[in-house]
Parts: sequence; C-alpha cells; structure tokens
Amino acid sequence: MDTDRERHRARETAFYLFTQQSLPACKPVLTPGWVIAIFLFMGVIFIPVGLVTLRASHCVVEIVDRYDIDCVPEPSRMDKVSYIQDDSIPKNCSRFMKVHKYMKAPIYIYYQLDNYYQNHRRYVKSRSDKQLLDGQKYHDTSSCQPVESNNNRPIVPCGLIAWSLFNDTFEFIREGAELKVNRKNIAWKSDRSHKFGKNVYPFNFQNGTLIGGGKLNPEIPLSDQEDLIVWMRTSALPSFRKLYGRIEEDLDVDDVVVVNLMNNYNTYSFGGKKKLALSTSSWLGGKNDFLGHACVFAGCSSLTLAIIFMLLHVKYRR
Amino acid sequence: MSGWDNIRSSTRSQQGRSHSLNQREPSRTVTLGRVQPQAPAFRTIYCNDRDANFAHRYRGNSVSTTKYNFFTFLPKGLYEQFRRVANLYFLMVSILSATPYSPVHPVTNVVPLSLVLLVSLIKEAFEDWKRFQNDMAINSTPVDVLQDQRWESIPWKKLQVGDIIRVKQDGFFPADMLLLASTNADGVCYIETANLDGETNLKIRKALERTWDYVTPEKACEFKGEVQCEQPNNSLYTFTGNLVIDNQTLPLSPNQILLRGCSLKNTEFVVGVVIFTGHETKVMMNSMNVPSKRSTLERKLDKLILTLFGTLFTMCLIGAIGSGVFIDRKYYFLGLSKSVEDQFNPNRRFLVVLLTMLTLLTLYSTIIPISLYVSIEMVKFIQSTQFINKDLNMYHAETDTPALARTSNLNEELGQVEYIFSDKTGTLTRNLMEFFKCTIGGEIYGTGMTEIERGVAERKGIKVQEVPTSINSVREKGFNFDDVRLMRGAWRNEPNPDACKEFFRCLAICHTVLPEGDESPEKIKYQAASPDEAALVLAAKHFGFFFYRRTPTMIYVRESHVERMGKIQDVSYEILNVLEFNSTRKRQSVVCRYPDGRLVLYCKGADTVIYERLVGGSDDLKKVTREHLEKFGSAGLRTLCLAYKDLAPDVYESWNEKFIQAKSSLRDRERKLDEVAELIEKDLILIGATAIEDKLQEGVPDCIETLSRAGIKMWVLTGDKMETAINIAYACNLLNNEMKQFIISSETDAIREVEERGDQVEIARFIKEEVKKQLKKCLDEAQQYFHSVSGPKLALIIDGKCLMYALDPSLRIMLLNLSLNCSSVVCCRVSPLQKAQVTSLVKKGARKITLSIGDGANDVSMIQAAHIGVGISGLEGMQAVMASDFAIAQFRFLKDLLLVHGRWSYIRLCKVVTYFFYKNLTFTLTQFWFTFYTGFSGQRFYDDWFQSLYNVIFTALPVIIVGLFDKDVSSSLSKRYPELYKEGIKNMFFKWRVVAIWAFFAVYQSLVFYYFVTVSSSTSQGSSGKMFGLWDVSTMAFTCVVVTVNLRLIMICNSITRWHYISVGGSIVAWFLFIFLYSGIMTPYDRQENIFWVIYVLMSTFYFYITLLLVPVAALLGDFLYLGVQRWFFPYDYQIVQEIHKDEADDSGRTDLLGIDNQLTPDEARSYALSQLPRELSKHTGFAFDSPGYESFFASQLGVYAPQKAWDVARRASMRSKPKPKPNKIN
Repeated sequence: MDTDRERHRARETAFYLFTQQSLPACKPVLTPGWVIAIFLFMGVIFIPVGLVTLRASHCVVEIVDRYDIDCVPEPSRMDKVSYIQDDSIPKNCSRFMKVHKYMKAPIYIYYQLDNYYQNHRRYVKSRSDKQLLDGQKYHDTSSCQPVESNNNRPIVPCGLIAWSLFNDTFEFIREGAELKVNRKNIAWKSDRSHKFGKNVYPFNFQNGTLIGGGKLNPEIPLSDQEDLIVWMRTSALPSFRKLYGRIEEDLDVDDVVVVNLMNNYNTYSFGGKKKLALSTSSWLGGKNDFLGHACVFAGCSSLTLAIIFMLLHVKYRR
Repeated sequence: MSGWDNIRSSTRSQQGRSHSLNQREPSRTVTLGRVQPQAPAFRTIYCNDRDANFAHRYRGNSVSTTKYNFFTFLPKGLYEQFRRVANLYFLMVSILSATPYSPVHPVTNVVPLSLVLLVSLIKEAFEDWKRFQNDMAINSTPVDVLQDQRWESIPWKKLQVGDIIRVKQDGFFPADMLLLASTNADGVCYIETANLDGETNLKIRKALERTWDYVTPEKACEFKGEVQCEQPNNSLYTFTGNLVIDNQTLPLSPNQILLRGCSLKNTEFVVGVVIFTGHETKVMMNSMNVPSKRSTLERKLDKLILTLFGTLFTMCLIGAIGSGVFIDRKYYFLGLSKSVEDQFNPNRRFLVVLLTMLTLLTLYSTIIPISLYVSIEMVKFIQSTQFINKDLNMYHAETDTPALARTSNLNEELGQVEYIFSDKTGTLTRNLMEFFKCTIGGEIYGTGMTEIERGVAERKGIKVQEVPTSINSVREKGFNFDDVRLMRGAWRNEPNPDACKEFFRCLAICHTVLPEGDESPEKIKYQAASPDEAALVLAAKHFGFFFYRRTPTMIYVRESHVERMGKIQDVSYEILNVLEFNSTRKRQSVVCRYPDGRLVLYCKGADTVIYERLVGGSDDLKKVTREHLEKFGSAGLRTLCLAYKDLAPDVYESWNEKFIQAKSSLRDRERKLDEVAELIEKDLILIGATAIEDKLQEGVPDCIETLSRAGIKMWVLTGDKMETAINIAYACNLLNNEMKQFIISSETDAIREVEERGDQVEIARFIKEEVKKQLKKCLDEAQQYFHSVSGPKLALIIDGKCLMYALDPSLRIMLLNLSLNCSSVVCCRVSPLQKAQVTSLVKKGARKITLSIGDGANDVSMIQAAHIGVGISGLEGMQAVMASDFAIAQFRFLKDLLLVHGRWSYIRLCKVVTYFFYKNLTFTLTQFWFTFYTGFSGQRFYDDWFQSLYNVIFTALPVIIVGLFDKDVSSSLSKRYPELYKEGIKNMFFKWRVVAIWAFFAVYQSLVFYYFVTVSSSTSQGSSGKMFGLWDVSTMAFTCVVVTVNLRLIMICNSITRWHYISVGGSIVAWFLFIFLYSGIMTPYDRQENIFWVIYVLMSTFYFYITLLLVPVAALLGDFLYLGVQRWFFPYDYQIVQEIHKDEADDSGRTDLLGIDNQLTPDEARSYALSQLPRELSKHTGFAFDSPGYESFFASQLGVYAPQKAWDVARRASMRSKPKPKPNKIN
C-alpha cells in the first residue's frame, strides 16, 4: 500500500520536474580551467599510450622486397604483359633477402599488391556465399557474374574473386636448407569454419578460355583451401597485404634468405606492384607506426594547447 | 469621427434598413465569406412528423470531424506524408535501390523511411482518435425529444430534422432549430453565442407569437406545421423561411433561429423544431481548417536541405566522373573483357557516368537527414504539450487557465520575435472596470487612490498615506469604493440626500444590463455589453439600490434606506423608452415611470454632451463638478456624467408620438431617432459624475520593460482615443519623458477646418498631404537623432485616420522607416483591419518576426496576420483564442512564453537541426572518401544495416533528448537577463556561419575516421599475423563514428540530465548489442557473411581498443579546441551569464528569489513607471462608454438582430477562414 503510494508520488514528482523543466542536471561550463585540465589530462593519457604503441611497432622486424619488375627477365621487360601471359616461359625467379635484425619466430610471410581494386563494387559482389558453404547444392550463382558458369555447368567457387586467386608461390632457403613454411591457420577461424563448406570441392574451376589466377586442387574441400579463404576476405584498400604463411624458425642477423618464387600472377596489365614481406609480430600486430605517432601527436598537441591556454590565462585573466 | 466609426455606423445603418425590408422580402442574403451555392429548391420540413420527412432523406445529426476513417487512413495518411520532399526523395531512393545500379540493399533506405512513416502515422492516428472520441462524446450527449406526449432523452446523433426538442437552461443546442416557445413570458429566450463569434453578452431570440403556447409536451405534440426554408448554408446571420400553420404563412427571420453551438441562458427551457442537422448546421458549415503557419526557422531549414541536395549532387558528380575515367579493360580482374553490363562498360564511358550517378545517389542518400522532420515534430509536440501547456509560471490560478499552445509549429519562432503588436483593452488593461469614485452634488466621494495619483504624489515628494480601509468596506470585482459617508445608508445624513437618491436611482435604472442567477444581492450576476455599465449597476447595489429583475417593460429595484434607515422595499419602474447609446450621441437615456406615476428621464453620458444639455443656473455645481471630472481624468479614471429631468405627462405623450413615428420610419431611422432624442434630452439637471478605474493587467509594466530590454519593440494598437492610449502607454512603461515623441494626429485645426467644408475628395487629398508632410518632418528629425550617438529614444503616436493615409503605398515606405527607428509605437483609433495592415506592413516590409497579442474578436485579423498570434484567454470570449497559435491568460505570461519557452525552443531546435546536419554529413563523407579508393565504383563502405539504422537507432534518441532538455541558463536567469533574447532575434545560432563551422568539423572528423582507421589497419593486427578485410575496417570505422557522434552531442549540451546519459550511453550500447548479435548469428535465410564474426575478430585485438580510444579523441580535439577558444575569446551572451552564475545551484525553489533580488517587484516597477508620467497631465476627463461590442448588444436588446461587424468583414477578407467553434463544453 504505502510503497505503492510512494511510488506513485515519486512518479508524480518526476513528472512535475519534467514538465516544469527542472530535472536535476549537471551543468558543465567549459571554463578556461576546465579546458586546460582536459587538455592536460589528454596529454597525460595519450603520450604514454602512444609511446607504448610505438615501442610495440618498433619491436617488429619487417623485410619488404618488391619483386614484380626484377623477376621479369631483362629482354621481356618491354612487354611484361605478354611475358606473364605466355605459359611456355618458366616463371621462376630467385630473390635474396638479408635479415638486418634478429627475427623471432613466428615470422609471417605476406604478399602485398598495389593498385589492385579488391574493393571495386563489381569485384566485391561477384561471389556466392551460399555456394561457398553449400557447393553445388546451391544452384543460383547469378551473383557471381561474369564468372558464374562454364560450359553451362556451374563453377565452384564461382565469381571474380575466386577466379582471380593469387597464384605466386614462395620457397625460402637459408644456408642451403629449406625453411619450413607453415601454410595452415592463415585464415580467420570464423571464415574457415562458417563460410567455407567442409564438403564443398572445387568444380569446373579455371576451365574457361580465360584463366584469371590460381587453380585449386579439386580433392581438397574449400574449408581447407586457406589461400582461397584469405584471398576472398576482400581488402579495404587497393593496396593490401595478405598472409601467405609462417616461418616457424628464428632468423638471425645477417642471415640471407633465398626466396625461390613462381612469378605467375599478372599485375603488369594494370601497373600494379607485387611485394613480398617478412615480418614478426608484436602484441599489437605488424609494423605500423601510425597509431603510435597519432597518439603521441594527439598527446603532445594537447599538452601544447594546455600550456598555451595556461599562458593566456595568466596573461589575460578574466 | 474615426475611420472605424465610419465603417461601423455605415454598415449598421445599412443593416438596419435592409432588416426592416427583410420582414416582407426574405430574399436578402449577406455574403459572409464563402457562401455555398444554394440549391434552387427550398427545403420543406414537416414538424413533428418523422414519416413525412423520411422521404427527403435529410442527413442525421451525428458529426464527424475526423480526417480519416478506417479504410481511408492508410492511403490518405500516406499521401499526406509523401507530400514532404524529404519523404518523397527517400521513396525514390528506395525504389532506386531495388535496381541493380544500387550498391546498397533496398533495406538501407526502406527501413528508415518506414520507421519515419510509422511514427508519423501513429501520431496522425492518435490525433484522429482523439477527435473521434470527442465526436463520440458530442454525438451521444442526451437531449429531450418529444415522443408520445412525453420528453424522451435520446443522444444527439439520433436527432432528425423535424423533431420537436426541449433544451434546458445552460444547455447547448444540438442542431439549428426554430424557436417555438419558451418558459419566459413573450416567447423570449436569451442565448450566448461565444462558440460562434466569441461574444459573451447575451442575445435575445423571440418566438413567433403564434407558437408561444407549445411549451408542455401535451400541447407541443399537437403542433403540426411546415417549415419552408432555404437550403443549408454557412451564413451565420441570415435565415430566410416561412412557417405554415393551418394554411397560414408566417415569415421567419434569424430572430427565431437557435444555432448549434450556442447555449441557452436565463431561460428555464425552450421548445423548438430541428431544421438543420449535423454537418448541415451553420456552425459546421463554417468550420474550415486554420491555415497552418510555418516557422522562419523551418523555412531556413528548407534552404539548408536544398544546400544538402546541392552537396549531394556535387559529390555524386565528382564520383561519377571519376568512375567514367577509371573504368578500363586493363583491370582484368574486374572481368570487363567479355560482354559487360552498361555500368562498367569501358566503351560507353558516358553511360557509365550517368549510371554511377544513380548508384552514388543511393549510396550517399544518408546526407539528407530523413528523420529530421519527424524528430523535430516530436520535440515540438512535447515542448508544446508538456512544457508550455503545463508550465506553472504561466498558469493563472484565479481563472484556472493554463497556457495553451494551439499549434506546435511555432515554438522556436517564439524565440525570435522582434515586434509585438498588442491590443490595449483586455490585454494590457484588465477590461475590469471598478467603480472607484464619484462626485455627487459637488462633493467627491471615495477614498481610494489610483496608481497614477500615487505616482504623481511620490514624484512630488509627498509621502503617500495609505488610507486604511474601513472595517466594513465592501470589496467585490467591479466595485473598489470605500467611503463611510455613502455606505450603509449613511448618505441620508449628507448635505444632499436628494441628489444622492437620484444619483443612485439613475445608476440602478438607466442601463441595459441583464441580471442573471439568483435574485439575491450575493448571488446575482450582471450581464452587460460594457463592463462600465456592470460596474455602475453593481455600485448601485452596494449603495442600497439593488436592481434584480428586468422584463422588456419593467425594471425591479430593491431599495433600502430610502424612507428610513434599514427599510427595504421592492420598487418597480416602468421603462417607457430607451434612447440608445451610440458613438455619435455618446449618451444614453431612459424614460421611466415611477410606481406613483412620476415620469423621469435619466441620462448618462460624456461630460461634453451632458454639459451642452444642462438647464441653466447652478453654475457653482457645474464648475465644481467639472473640476472634479478633470481631477478624475488626470488620475486615469473613466468618467460619466449623470443627469435627470422630470417630465410632464403631456410633454412626454407628444414626444412619445414623434418617437414612435421615428422608430417605425423606414428611411434614415437612425438619424430620425437621434433627432427625436435631441428634443427631450435637454434642460437636464446635473446630479454628479462617476469615476471608473480601468485596471491594468497584473505585471504589465514590468513585463513590457523586460521585453524591451530583450530587444523586442512593442507597438500598441488600440481603438481607444489618443489621450487614453497615451496614458496607458505611460503607465505601461512604453513612453516616458526622456523619449522624443512624434505625434501624427488628424485632430488638428487645419484638418478640422477642411472637414467642416465637407467635400470628401478634398478632405482625403488634404489629409494625405498633411500626413505626408508630417511623416517627412518626423523622419528627417528621427534620422538626425539616429545619427547622433546619444540621441533620445523615439516614439511614434499616430491615429487611425492618419494611419489610413500613411498606409497608402506611396507613403508606406516612409511610415515603415520612421516606425522602425522608434522604440515604441502607439496607434490609436485604429480599426481591426488597420491592425492587420500595420502588422503585415512590418512583417512583409521589414521582414522581421512579429507577434500579435489580443483578446477580442477585433484582434482576430491582427492575430492571424502576424507570424505568431497570441490570444488572451480571458473575459472577452474565445474568438481571439480560436484564431491564435498560443493562448495565455495574462499579458505578463508573455515574458515566460518568449524569454523562457521561446528562447529555449529556439536554441534547442537550432541544436537539433545543426546536429542532424553534422552527423549525417560526417557519416556520408566517410563513404565519400572511400569512394576515391574503390575506383569510383560506388562500393558501400558500411554494411546495409549499419547505414539504415544509423539514423533511426544509433543516433536518434540523444538528439531528441537535447531538443527537450537542453537548458543554457535557468528560466529565472532567462528572465533576469532579458538581453539574452537578442541572440535569438539576430538568429545567432542558425546562421550560415554556424552551419559552415559544423560542416568544417564534419569534414575534419570524417577524414579522421576514414584515414586513421584505414591507414592504421594496413598491416596485420594482433599477434596472429592475420589481416583485416574490408568489413573489419568498416565496422571499426563505424564504431568510431557512432561513439564520436554521440560524444559530440554531449559536448553541445549545456545541462546534462540523467536522460542524456541514458540516451547517449544507450545509443552506444545499442550499437554494440546490435553488432554482437548481428555478426554472431548466421541464419540460412539471411546470410550476412560479410559481417559474420567481424566484431569478435576486432575485439580480439588490442588495435581495436587503442583505435577506439584514439579516433574519437582525435576527431573531437578540433571541436573541443574550437569550443574552448570560442567560449574564452568570443563568448555568446548566455555563456557569460552561465559563468557568472556557474556556482549557483539551479534550484527551482529559488526562482522567485533570484528574480527579485536585483529588481523591483512588479508593483514597485509600476509605481516607478507612473512616477515618470509627464508633469502636465492632459486635461481629458475620461469617458467610460468606449467599449466595442456595445452597439450590437444594444441592438439585440431591442430585438434587432446583430449587424455584421466590421471586424468580421476584415477577418474574413484577410483570411477567409474561421476557426472551428467546437461545442465541446457539453456536460
């Protein structure tokens, strides 16, 4: 009874405060004192965070090698496109990468493409998620245009993305011994287990007149074709890296790694670059100073502003 | 004579003439507004015979004011919604997004559109439901109908044409009906027409003599007659028809018609025949929709939206051209070599550009804030219904009247008002006349002191001694008189008891007041057209001459103390003639016969006219009385002279013959009656004079002073005389002695001279010349003052006749220039039409925001002409309120309405609009930057659902909370620093500069969002070395956008309540909840694999948290710096006030304290204002009969039906609309 009435009264009071527009409120007034305090606070927060981030980034050792031009033999450099499209010419190529700093395993191998519009609208939508999961049980591949079928039979996996699968391969040799490259677990687990079917096998893939890129072993289910899975997580920007594998041995300073690669993939038509990157990883990820610099910059500018405001405050006291 | 009087008397005489013809020739129709074309056939109604009427299939009496019904709701409601450009645009975009050109799923645009439509439709349905319930309540009100010789109670809706019904006292008439009989003698009944025309005075309707007997059910059921009348039409004041009984044809006039919406007064019950029902009643046929006004801010908003459309188009064009340039076969991975659809065909680049244009149009559609209009509507709706209507500061406890926002469209307009046009009577003054003093036989009675007198005395340094009111003093509304010498019969001991007796009798007999209610002194109420009259009769009551009953021929007065102290006797006086009041005569007389046969003429009127007609002799009395009159006049009192004259029977008889002759004459009846009256109204004996105080409304001077400090210019437009107007203006703080006053008056000798010659063309030409000369002179002088630095404030006083010429197109510019330089303007003697003209002169000519405030029917045109119309819901009926946008009970509430609610609404709305603009621009620009990196293909950056829910869920609620709760300074500070209001007048918060600043930061922030997130994610994230894809990056960016945009909202708030935290926190939490669910669940039907598990992947990295910390801060750093610098170095006024009072708790309990400590109380302020009155007060003596509406009352008293009013014509001509008078007060 009483609680009921009390609740009723409380509700009435709240409504009264609402209609009379006198709800309890805090009134932040951005006085110079507050401005200075907040800037100081931000400086104090962001400079350490930035420094920590930068340190993490600096711990990462990264070796990048652009190989797309050097791997084309001297005589063919005038017409790289016909070189790359000529299947009869062997495409192997050797690169030497010098380790300038100790690299602790695991060392990640990335290939990087530039000017490659994986985020083009026509490209992004040319896939069939259902088919990737259900295979030929799912018939409708219209979303895969223009690579939906060949000889009136559907392609699995269909679509431009799969069709243009990256197909350069890399082998790493240190001091005559081959470095073991782990190609497993390079795709996000959620992709492997939920987006690509365990019982879906490539079918009728790269059988057409035009071959875009890599072929797939029809014996292996899609969920285990991690190259494809990585490739099909389309990138955000036209310049992107994708994980190729892991070297699970440490590399010492001044080690020279010989990379035997098959330069199969055509980036010459559109003037794209191909790079190979070896990188260790910190708790934060790869080598990227941007976040650290941004944090430090934000922190420093906050501090500077705080000081400027303080000086102004002293000079023109209101 | 003023222009108004001209109009009034001319229409009146015309009406009078045609009325007399009307008896024989029922063909005249006065066209009032839109009269429906009439069917040629007359309608024939068989009274009391449902079967006979059945053949005609007349419509039933149920009414419906709903906009929709069950079936039409959806199509009609949707049609209404799609008349808005934004909705239509989104419909088009939605259709477009169903085509393959669209990068987004249709859901992106359909969801926000349907949510917006849903909210709007629910609101419509709710409002219509309320109308429906109201209709139901009215339709099922019971009424007594005659069935089988008994009165049966049936609901209104079952009523049919031809039914005989009974309506009891205070009941409303359920339909238009013919009056058959009344319980009053002579078949008379009194009705109140407040719902129709706003007049609260009673009107008389009289049944035909032939039908007087049909009062009882037994008798009434014998009534068999046929009514032949016109087809239903919307003319309120006309009716033509005949009643056929026993083959006898009796003509009917409006005098026998009782209209739906009116109510019965002073009559036990009436019996009548229903003739028009339901929607065919005159009141329903008159109901038209009030044209909705749009606020200036909203019009400016349209421009902003147009700018956004322009931006959208530019963005699309840039992207489309880029796509045309980009597309190339060399990008073999795009599969362009085979047959390619048009949009990506490198051979047809022009087509690519065109189609990409469509693509981008759908992609960037979020730049148009679709939910803006519906959010604004909701905010305004709550502002008006919950804040304005329920504000206790604007609640008038005395009359139990809260403020009422009749429209929610104009809330923010209230914060930008620059000109106020105010009526005087009833708005500034109370329209409450109090009997204050009198002079009888050369002796002043009454101990009170008016405010003006007190002010004068204070200025002279005389200590004002408050005369203690005697213990037995009587205080009643309308009677503020105290003098022991007169009260309780003490007048018998005065030197002049006979004069006193005549004085009191004159007060009790010579009037046109109707008594209402119980015939006891305590309970009786007097109904009078002029409040002066009621005050006089009331005074007589307190003096012991209690007028308690009136019949058309008799007046009953209960007299005490006449023969000896304490003796009470009822005396009946036979009223032989009433010589009516009009504005030329300025007096009123009654010829009455005492029970003992004595014949007396009592007369009251303006001092000038009475003095001309006094008998010679007793010059001392005249001289003393005149001195007293001047004294009263200078004290701001309204005076009337009282006189009487004994008549010899033979003289009277011979005069009466002439009078009857004049009364029945068909031509020039007015003039003849005036002439006849002149014959008898002479050789009068002066008794004395009364002085009535026209009380100012409470707090008016204080309010006006505050408003003027707020930069609002106040114009008073009144029908009163120049002297009265100036006096009131002084009392209200509008004028003071430091001001330079320009007076343009038509009462100059030169003009009068020309007028006497009587050549109309010449008069017009001359006055126009004169006005032009005057205006030019004043303008020159004004500009001189204007250029000098410390010139005095200027004031313009102009009368109606001069105004008429000054409003001429050739002089209009000059008038406008002059008046805009003046801080206050007083227009006196203006007609309602001129009020509207002046208002629109400023509205259209100066493009300033105007507000009109008034209380009477004569203010309607002005109220509708201004940007904002405010009605005073007071004594003078509902007409002004019905036409207004806001209704308040007291003028002083204007302070709260403008300075508090208006200001807040304006600031809030500005914040809502600019914030909407910002958040949509920021969001869309990130898309735009992305477009550059996708080969201009129009690939979407965000998932479909992100984009569709961004506007309607993730950022919707907080902005509404700001629109409701944001307070920069408390209400008491708003009133204490009225100067804050000037920011609204200058439109400081919604300038293009403000919008540009928001736009600048929107661009900056969107760059931060896009580049910080994309650049920092170019390498692997997390220790697993795996890379992010497009959807990971975009989800990260979207999270940053949602968080930042919501935090930015907190930064614009001046006060943060719990609801801010809840809504802002809730929005961010809603996003996370959504993305947790959305990316976590994958159903076989809707496989959004893009987003699957994205948020979990993101959250497994440290990168996510650092970015989430960094990006919002980096994005808001610019805004924060701007806010800090702006507040520090270029503060708005409100920010200064905030800082002064930042340590004070905002306690509503202290509101009043705060308001007072630095200021005078309203009373003190008013006295202060009065002390500023000029030393030489005008020697006008006041004149207490200057009330509009008087003549029509008198006319109806005589059984002449009310003539069409000048203001009706003006109103209808200006607006062609009439608010719907709802008979909703039925119970």
